[in-house]
Amino acid sequence: MDELKTMWETVPPAAPEDLAGARRRLLNGMHTRRRVVTAPRLLVAVGVAAATVVTPMIVGTGTPAYAVTKSPDGTITMTVNELRDPVGLQAKLGEVGIKADVAFLAPNTRCADGRFSSVDPAYDGQPATDPDELRSLMNEWRSPKVTRPISVREIRIFPEHINSDETLVLEFREENDGAKVPWRLGAWLAQAGTSVKPCTPIADAG
Amino acid sequence: MTITREVVESDDATLIERSLNEPESFAVLFDRHAPLLHRYVTRRLGPGEAEDVVADTFLAAFQRRGDYDRGRPDARPWLYGIASNVIGKRRRTERSLYQAYIRSGVHPAEIPGVQVEDGVNTLAVNRPLARALLGLKRADRDVLLLVAWAELSYQEVADALAIPLGTVASRLNRARTQIRQALGQGE
Repeated sequence: MDELKTMWETVPPAAPEDLAGARRRLLNGMHTRRRVVTAPRLLVAVGVAAATVVTPMIVGTGTPAYAVTKSPDGTITMTVNELRDPVGLQAKLGEVGIKADVAFLAPNTRCADGRFSSVDPAYDGQPATDPDELRSLMNEWRSPKVTRPISVREIRIFPEHINSDETLVLEFREENDGAKVPWRLGAWLAQAGTSVKPCTPIADAG
Repeated sequence: MTITREVVESDDATLIERSLNEPESFAVLFDRHAPLLHRYVTRRLGPGEAEDVVADTFLAAFQRRGDYDRGRPDARPWLYGIASNVIGKRRRTERSLYQAYIRSGVHPAEIPGVQVEDGVNTLAVNRPLARALLGLKRADRDVLLLVAWAELSYQEVADALAIPLGTVASRLNRARTQIRQALGQGE
């Protein structure tokens, strides 16, 4: 088999200039997620707008941190008043048939990348170059279809977009200006049969 | 981020773990392995698409780095496994390269003149080899070339392609038999 080993062995290893374009693509690709994550944030912004025409929720003493209810049409409403007890919220979602991974984050932080393998590029794919492209990608991907904000503290979950054994990964981040927007949500689907690593919070100004 | 000496000297698994919080660390992995991965891809596809394949491989690796088994300090099997999938999507290019070589006797990325003295003999061996590679099943060719050109061990090939060690052995055996037959028949 020596003949095969020496076949075309004079092909040289690449020089840095041969790889400059590939290296640039990699470096550009490293910074995509923060921009793509704006997709769910845009959705939350829609929720804020909707809240101006619906009765704002009054959060007072005794208000539960979260609530999960299933509607007759199969959709699920998740109300999050306070970022407390992510494990409990996760368990509540489990009770209505949603396999979820919930993380709560302090302001100006995010979970470190690479927690899970996403079913689509919504989590860590190439960035959208403009709002039109973003809108088009949102139509193609399943992750953005799973959740929809219906008020500043309520998210509707559409289980029909979640395939068997996929995990709904929810990263809630508390906002500095909690009066207007109490938290923002990143929601993605992890591939069936794969694990989701615990969230390691890191600084994120965006 | 500044790439420190400590980062540059880390093993692959440490680098990958570090890149979860400091994505730029992943560029060190690129600098370490991309030159030889590019060579491997160039031997299989020619120079035209090698850079694209290397970029696709490292981007896919970056996105999947959270799943990397940190018990494996050497990331080459992981990277070459991903590259095998990317190459697999360009089978037509690979076939065209072998066919062109069979016709012309020239690989477009070989350094000309290096083997002038035994060029005729080289061609007499390489042409039937190219023909044999062309005739192999894709899965067998992947295993054979990961061993012969990427110099991975059998276990590393098994890890790279996520197949049992016994499957590596059987594919390799089948591929080698075809290669031997091709060489036996000569031109």
